[in-house]
Amino acid sequence: MTAIRRQDRAGYLFLLPWFGGMVFMIVPFFASLYLAFTDYDLLTAPTWAGLDNFRRMFDDAKLHQSLKVTIIYTVVSVPLSLIVALAVAMVLDRGVRGLAIYRSVYYLPSLLAGSVAIVMLWRYIFGYNGIVNDFLSWFGIQGPGWASDPRYALSTLILLHIWTFGSPMVIFLAGLRQIPAMYYEAASMDGASGWRQFRSITLPLLSPIIFFNLVQALIASFQTFTQGYVISNGTGGPGESTLFYNLYLYQKGFAEFDMGYASALAWLLLVIIAGFTAVNFLAARFWVFYDN
Amino acid sequence: MNAIGNTAGPTRRHLLTLAGLTATAATLSGCGRGFGGGGDDDDGRIEINMVWWGDAQRAQFTQKSLDLFQTANPGIRVRTEYQDSSPYKDKLAARFAAGDPPDLMAMRFDSLREYADRGTLLDLAKHAGALDLTGLTEPARALGQVGPQIFGVPSGLNTISFVVDKTITDQYGVSIPDGDTWTWADLSTFAAAVTKASGGKVYGANFEPWTVANLLVFARQRGEDFFTADGRLGATAGTITAWFELTEGLRAAKAFPPAGFIDQNNGASPAQSYLAKKSIAAQIIPSNNLLGYNQACGGNLVMLRIPGETARRGQSIDTPALWSIAATSKHPDETLKLLNFLINDVEAARVSGATRGVPPNRKIAEQIAPDLDADNKRATEFLSALQNEKLPPSYPYPVGASKLTNILKTISTEVEFGRLEPAAAGERFITEARKEIHG
Repeated sequence: MTAIRRQDRAGYLFLLPWFGGMVFMIVPFFASLYLAFTDYDLLTAPTWAGLDNFRRMFDDAKLHQSLKVTIIYTVVSVPLSLIVALAVAMVLDRGVRGLAIYRSVYYLPSLLAGSVAIVMLWRYIFGYNGIVNDFLSWFGIQGPGWASDPRYALSTLILLHIWTFGSPMVIFLAGLRQIPAMYYEAASMDGASGWRQFRSITLPLLSPIIFFNLVQALIASFQTFTQGYVISNGTGGPGESTLFYNLYLYQKGFAEFDMGYASALAWLLLVIIAGFTAVNFLAARFWVFYDN
Repeated sequence: MNAIGNTAGPTRRHLLTLAGLTATAATLSGCGRGFGGGGDDDDGRIEINMVWWGDAQRAQFTQKSLDLFQTANPGIRVRTEYQDSSPYKDKLAARFAAGDPPDLMAMRFDSLREYADRGTLLDLAKHAGALDLTGLTEPARALGQVGPQIFGVPSGLNTISFVVDKTITDQYGVSIPDGDTWTWADLSTFAAAVTKASGGKVYGANFEPWTVANLLVFARQRGEDFFTADGRLGATAGTITAWFELTEGLRAAKAFPPAGFIDQNNGASPAQSYLAKKSIAAQIIPSNNLLGYNQACGGNLVMLRIPGETARRGQSIDTPALWSIAATSKHPDETLKLLNFLINDVEAARVSGATRGVPPNRKIAEQIAPDLDADNKRATEFLSALQNEKLPPSYPYPVGASKLTNILKTISTEVEFGRLEPAAAGERFITEARKEIHG
């Protein structure tokens, strides 16, 4: 008994940093909920504004633009990056020699892509006089500024996002390893083609992993900030083509003395993400297959 | 379970407990740092916190003048922080929100009233005994003045100017127009000639259509105050339309690079500029940055006035940054003393050179002029010549003005890529700007 309680104590001790961290979460959490109903310019005390901030959202064209940008980004980049991640994971799962090295190499972009240096590098690669356009010029094509042209900037960021398929890939790889080899052996004995095996064995047995990756990727995608901030220096430009939701929120809160509205935007984002995730979980009933 | 609790267990668990505690402590102390904070240390000296934006070179110059101040005032320690202009802007607001504003701060000209009108800055007019502003000319003093109150003192004086890389123009045999008399049409002819002579390797010129300071000069040349003395938007849609017709005309004439060539977020430092990369031959810069640009561009930059200054004057004497003091500063007397020192001490001005422009105190500006290096001397003479002429005054931008750059950026991108006609752009800008500028 005492031993267990002592163990509990140790457990709580280990949790201490988390409790410490929670204080820093919970206080801002409720503070932002309160601020969402106020008019707050950061410099003077907030004043109660009721639902004003939420009413403003309906005819805020920039907000609608930022939602559009974020949703396009999510809808395009999340499935694509998962498909790439799964494809690469399956190739690696075939038993490549030096798997650990490949795994690390492919995982590397995931670690780096959020970093400012990589986004800067991408800007040079995709700049008007960048490497991509140098390559195109061999064929007599003058490419646009892939990051400075409002028609292409978001696509460039989507490409950057797909490139960071590393973390879902590692998870897929682990998932693939869990599928017993005997299923495939039995299937090949019955003459099932590779595609058939993929459809009928891999996909269903991997579906919980796919679902997990999908939920994770979707939430992360809605929260995209760094890429947009760095590529546009915080403006959401060129034009408003990379005005991610979080970037707009940041602009409102920290650059435009409109923290009350920014707080309301943060809560709207929470609701949106919760909504998408709920739909995801509901839909999961129809396609996620649990083996046990 | 109990097995763990035997002989080896406790020691290991103790170690782990310790590790956990250390981690917690690290987290907590990590959070405590970097919030500004700070107070008076044990040595009895009063600490004042001073923040500004700029680069390492400016930091060196600034530190030299602060060293002088601290030697003269051993009871005061100045703790400084600096960073790039864009994160600086965001962080400053957050420091006020956290109730921990710096004592002395560099204040953007376009943000002065955002802060002042909300009562966060010290009215310096009430401290005329501690802060002597009599050495400043009337237009220089007006830069930080809101009605009868003064919320900022120019840290230096500057204006915008056109710089041309003479190495490039010589190489292609194009002569540089007379900067005191040239027109916008002359700019177009000159720049197009450079582009043509270089076979498109170098574009003649570029400047940012979204920089309010540029547009302000253009509006005045057309007889309009972009912002009026009483803090309203004075520019008309016609002027904004004419501005975009001008920039798109330059682009069509190949005086400007094609759409998309310039990445509007390329970075602010001279070394990153398209001028330093030799992709363009001329651009607009703040006059106090001549030294940095000339160093980055190979040392052969010629400084011209903005085109179109012959009929009606558009250029004005401005400031790269004002110095302001927080209303809630715990040490207003010491901070005023420091500010007074920075403005009125000749040695402080001498060691910090012209990194923030020409010293606002005219007498001091004249005293240090002989000691400046060639580029700073040239920039100073350029500004002095303008100061001797009758120029329109510059007023602090109204509340909301700091949002106009983003609006202009979006609209000018739309225009650049042909998705918005200049006429529609003019209307759209006025509509959106009116929403932001109350009054």
